[in-house]
Amino acid sequence: MIRLISAELFKLRRRRMTRILLYVLLGVLLLMALILLGIARLTQMDLGLPLAVPVALTVLSSLGTVLAVILTASAIGSEYSWRTIRTMLTASESRARLLGAKLISAITIILIGMVIGVAAGFVMTLITTAIGGQALDFDFATASYARDQFLQFWRVFYVMLPYISLAFLFSVIGRSAMPGIAMGIGLLFVEPIVSGFMRLAGGWIAEVPDFLLNRNANVITGLGELPFAFSSIPFDDAPSVAHAAIVLAVYSVASIALAFYLFRRRDLTG
Amino acid sequence: MVDQPNVNNGVVLRTTGLSKSFGRLAAVKDLNLELRYGEVFGLLGPNGAGKSTTVGMLLGLIAPTTGDIEVFGLRLKEHRWPILRRVGAVIEEPAFYPYLSGRDNLEALARAIGGISRSKIADVLERVNLLDRAHDRYATYSMGMKQRLGVAFTLLRDPELILLDEPTSGLDPAGTKEVRDLIPQLANERCTVLLCSHLLHEVELVCDRVAILKQGTMIASAPVRELVARGQMLQIKVADPSAAAAVLRSLPWVKSVEEADGYLIVDAPRDSASRVNQALAEQGMFASELVNRGTSLENVFLELTGKEGRD
Repeated sequence: MIRLISAELFKLRRRRMTRILLYVLLGVLLLMALILLGIARLTQMDLGLPLAVPVALTVLSSLGTVLAVILTASAIGSEYSWRTIRTMLTASESRARLLGAKLISAITIILIGMVIGVAAGFVMTLITTAIGGQALDFDFATASYARDQFLQFWRVFYVMLPYISLAFLFSVIGRSAMPGIAMGIGLLFVEPIVSGFMRLAGGWIAEVPDFLLNRNANVITGLGELPFAFSSIPFDDAPSVAHAAIVLAVYSVASIALAFYLFRRRDLTG
Repeated sequence: MVDQPNVNNGVVLRTTGLSKSFGRLAAVKDLNLELRYGEVFGLLGPNGAGKSTTVGMLLGLIAPTTGDIEVFGLRLKEHRWPILRRVGAVIEEPAFYPYLSGRDNLEALARAIGGISRSKIADVLERVNLLDRAHDRYATYSMGMKQRLGVAFTLLRDPELILLDEPTSGLDPAGTKEVRDLIPQLANERCTVLLCSHLLHEVELVCDRVAILKQGTMIASAPVRELVARGQMLQIKVADPSAAAAVLRSLPWVKSVEEADGYLIVDAPRDSASRVNQALAEQGMFASELVNRGTSLENVFLELTGKEGRD
């Protein structure tokens, strides 16, 4: 398994797409830092360093999820498009291990990307704060702040997982990256709209979004102490944290289990 | 471990009643193959005969519907990796990562397999004449180079059994010769080779034994020489072909007699030329020409597979 993970990481590292996704993330983080600098100058508000990590995590939970979906779906889907899946399988101990190695490698790269994103977001804000002439005050960096940001990092990752898992599953089902990307990104953007209509419909239909991803993801990310502009609007009838965590876990586990089941059983022809 | 030729009666690969159906389509039916240590075995058949499906099953990429596969004395179903660790394969068109160089492709695969040194990667690249293009992206390779990289990947794990599915597909004549020359070399290096091809001349040149598939069923399996000999005919020139044909048709050991371009084409045992001559002489007919008409594997193949083989 370690051998396969090493091979998968080698391929992901060498792939230009991995670097492009990271550049996109860094570009958006830079843009956010500049926007914050502009707002701070206009409003005379202190939007500097204390916001750096929370803003980076907010970007990661939205754009980061999109990028993670693309990376994961491509990791498995491209193998089908290039027909390298057969070559890889003849060099792999088992199908399950190959798929497991792919998932672990993609998640490893995503986590590394998240760490780079948070660090880069902080450094960029540091620079823009200095450029803006604001004081570099680190008083906010208490143990409680660090703990909350650390927990928020993992909450963001936890919320990403079902989208990543669904992208993974649909890439296996569709034998291509596109179905996975379409499913992951589609859910991320279309589900809130559909859920909104469902809530309006009332009755049992209004309860359905409680068992979809978006509402539960908001419950989990809402646990972080995000700045006012970035926190999701609180809603009275939100599902409990436990409910949200379980629903998201069920989506993740079920998608991955089904992906493994299908991958192990399917013939590789053509 | 079964790596001595005398173990398992020298049988490296054995399929027993191997079948595969895709829905209602039976792609392979009751296939019984046996590959012996060090031989080059050809698997022939027209498109859709079931060759690639067979190779897919031998590599564990396709699950057989029924039947059993034994390699190195081990059942593939239960010992997939210990077997595949010792098997190299080039499956139809080689498939590698287009964004990686030839060397990096082998590096990635070597990491997955494990226990392969970097010097081994350089060795196999040199062996297939790709060392000077090893750092170029795979996407920039010609078809011949891609095919050679496929062979390099096969050699990476010092295989004892090599499965080659159309290894010269898309190659120019020089590349074809290069790969063709490599096959007997592999067999000399304690490798057993299964070569799937529809290029019959190629198979005839390099294979010891062949099996012919038609619509998933094995319709012939024999040493190449024997199969070619089966297709040999006697070609006779006589003054009165019709009368001579009537005489020959009356002989019980003559299977068929046909007239073509003033000649008689006689399907009779290979060593029957003198008996044919005698039978004609006894009737006062004398052959002005009597030769064993040579045939090729291609003729035998076309005869056995009929219209499909010509497609």
